[in-house]
Amino acid sequence: QQTTLDEWAKDPVDPEIRAHVYSLITALGGTGDDGTYSFGDDALLCLKDLRKWLKFADGQLNRRDVARCMAEANLVKGDLLEILAKVSPKVTDDRLKHKLAVATLELLVPLTWPFEIDPVEATVNHHRHGPYIQLAQIAYKRAILQYDRTHILQTAVRIALPSMAIPLRERTPRDDGIIRIALYFIRNVVMLSPPKSVPIDIDEAEVSRSAVIDAFQQQDIFQVILSVASSIGEDFVSQDVIVLEILFYLLKGIDAEKLFMEEKKLRSKNTDELKSLIQKEKSMLAGYARHAPSRHNRFGTMIWLKRGDDEQVSTISGQDVLGKAQKSMQKMDMTKKWNKPKRPGRKTDGEQEREEFDLPVALTSSAQKHIKTFVEEFLDSSFNPLFLHLRKAIERETERVEDRHSRQFFYLVSWFLQAECARRRTMKEKAADSKSKQVLSAEDESYGLVAEVMNQETFILMNRFMQKSEDEKAWQDLNAGMKCFTQVLLTVQEMSDSAVEDDQEIAENIQNRIFYEESTHDRIVHTLRSYKDQGFGYLDAVTELSHVFLRMLERYSKQNVDMQVRSKRRARTIRKKQAEAQGEDGEPEGHVSEREDLEAAQKTVSERKFDFSRFAAKFINQSSVNTFIAFLKYYNELDLDQLKRVHRFFHRVAFKMELGVLLYRVDILQLFNKMIKGPEGLDSDSPSFKEWEEFVRHFFRTVVKRIQDRPELIVEMLFSKIPQTIFFLEHGYDRQLPTRT
Amino acid sequence: TADDSGLGIDEEIKVVKKREPIPKLDDNRLLSDPGIPKLRRISKERLKFKGKGHEYGDIARMLNMYQFWLDELYPRAKFADGLAMIEKLGHSKRVQMMRKEWIDEGKPKHNAREDED
Repeated sequence: QQTTLDEWAKDPVDPEIRAHVYSLITALGGTGDDGTYSFGDDALLCLKDLRKWLKFADGQLNRRDVARCMAEANLVKGDLLEILAKVSPKVTDDRLKHKLAVATLELLVPLTWPFEIDPVEATVNHHRHGPYIQLAQIAYKRAILQYDRTHILQTAVRIALPSMAIPLRERTPRDDGIIRIALYFIRNVVMLSPPKSVPIDIDEAEVSRSAVIDAFQQQDIFQVILSVASSIGEDFVSQDVIVLEILFYLLKGIDAEKLFMEEKKLRSKNTDELKSLIQKEKSMLAGYARHAPSRHNRFGTMIWLKRGDDEQVSTISGQDVLGKAQKSMQKMDMTKKWNKPKRPGRKTDGEQEREEFDLPVALTSSAQKHIKTFVEEFLDSSFNPLFLHLRKAIERETERVEDRHSRQFFYLVSWFLQAECARRRTMKEKAADSKSKQVLSAEDESYGLVAEVMNQETFILMNRFMQKSEDEKAWQDLNAGMKCFTQVLLTVQEMSDSAVEDDQEIAENIQNRIFYEESTHDRIVHTLRSYKDQGFGYLDAVTELSHVFLRMLERYSKQNVDMQVRSKRRARTIRKKQAEAQGEDGEPEGHVSEREDLEAAQKTVSERKFDFSRFAAKFINQSSVNTFIAFLKYYNELDLDQLKRVHRFFHRVAFKMELGVLLYRVDILQLFNKMIKGPEGLDSDSPSFKEWEEFVRHFFRTVVKRIQDRPELIVEMLFSKIPQTIFFLEHGYDRQLPTRT
Repeated sequence: TADDSGLGIDEEIKVVKKREPIPKLDDNRLLSDPGIPKLRRISKERLKFKGKGHEYGDIARMLNMYQFWLDELYPRAKFADGLAMIEKLGHSKRVQMMRKEWIDEGKPKHNAREDED
């Protein structure tokens, strides 16, 4: 039997659906006599019908056929945007035009709604249409942003303006709906990003974050966001989460520090970065050149490598290894074909990919300027009301709040805190500079602009959130929580260095509260210890948090010698012992009362004196060393701060705590050696190289000495140490335990 | 069963070639003679340190010793992979017991007691 091409090229869409949708789109309108768009006779009804098709055929049958048809028929660019352009000038006055515009928007919002494949609900149909629709949506985004005759986004807002003007109490559900779709339309435009799995054939710059920011600036969308956010709680209530999402997709990945650098400084910083990158590349190439063959590739050198026992040799080919012992060892290793099978990494689904906030985003200089102005105005007017409102909504677990919103909330809190601190620093520098006229006012000095997230309620929510996401293994959530906590700590630190006495006092108070709970201390140690394959962004967050926390706690506990912590566990064990003792004494009381006792004991808490060195010791153990080693493995991608962070940690391990034995492991030694001596080592011109070189040399010396003292280390060097033997390996004698009599 | 009468003589015997099992780097191999016992031996014979001023050279030489040793013990694996596998084996009860024993051998007390015996 012969197959024809027609059979192969079967329409993926049900032909009947296609016929219906196409006829509706045709009836909608087209280019009229005067060259502009002219409506069909029943354009409004057609729009409503199209929406019904999208809602019922796709929604209820759980398919994407209609969306695909509409994408193929060029509905958005050919009709919907044209309609908006046509009605735009009179949309607020003319009732009919307003109706048309609302209907158009109601169609645009579901069409631009980010496509996701729901693992539970998805059918084959979704997977078939997915890539096509994702690409079509990027084209929608481009068309909306680049549309040249009208400001589409602005028109969308204008459609909602009459409803927004109505006071909150008098608004009908219809009005609320219109406001919602206008805001969701904006969110969709920010949120849509080119899918990583499918290549796109349009210029990415046209749909990049910079393009969105420029369009927002041009079409006054920032003003809309500001006015909604600043009057949240008064004129707007349920819109808070949509604003949160818009902000999240607008700001994620942008470097807040860089945003507030002065232009001159920024430029020099950028040149520095370029310089250092070129330098890095140079040293990398030099590294290759040092090991590159000096003759053609068929020169055919072969060497014998004598091994320990005199008779055995390995053969290695290639003249690049001649006379270079280390290189030949490396080559011997490299030529092995077998790789240890790795567990495949967890697949990240579409949502996670979109939410990914650890990827840095580069902005054009105009976008940078615009977003900076926006962020400043936002901090001045809207930050406190919006974030207070959101916090309450999250606490109350309001229906409109979804899981992702808490993550976005904490990410944005950390982002804005960082931005605010960066802004103050530049302001201070400016004020200190005698040439500029700027003077710091008392208001500039205070931290009132971010006060709503620096209170006890937020800390409680944050702690609960971190605990919950750790328990549920929601790593991305935990990542956001840790970032937030780190920024809170850094902000508090800047506050305590402030010139204003009140600020110092407040900072002191906040620190008091943060450091008072022992459960917080334990959680941080625990997260650091339990890192496993959560990715670089998480690793960065967890190491930074531990670093900042430990450093600040050290400072704080030195200032407050009689610091108290509230500890739960201790109370429990004491009570347990008591209970046991009672059980032994009075057998008849039995198990029931014992359990009651224990339950009561779990709730009681006791205060005790905080001992920093004991706490720091908790930080230093094999698993936290492993976490930091995992982080250090990226040494060529780490920046100065990150390298410093790792350096401080290992310095603490090896010399301050005298637990270098935790680092006596062949893989760690090899990593250190490779970092300094290469090949592909740390750039020797980098500022942190010297620090590291010194540390590693110093550390290696202790290793050599230790091995000479205790040859048994040669074997132990292969393994992580058992707690029982750590003390002996470090000191050469067993710990004197108080002997029991 | 029904086939019992013919004693199964008439049945054709299918020869299934078994795949050669891939050698594993497990605790047996690690504790066998070319494993850790050999490492203990060669480290005493070969490892000479130059001391102060030669830290990097000393450590590099030591790392090379490990690499040769691992290559002979389990040629399949790259150095880093092999190290990771061995580290993991270190968590098993049996290897831990042996490790403790080796450490105890180095302790002065242990030697003294043996002398008494």
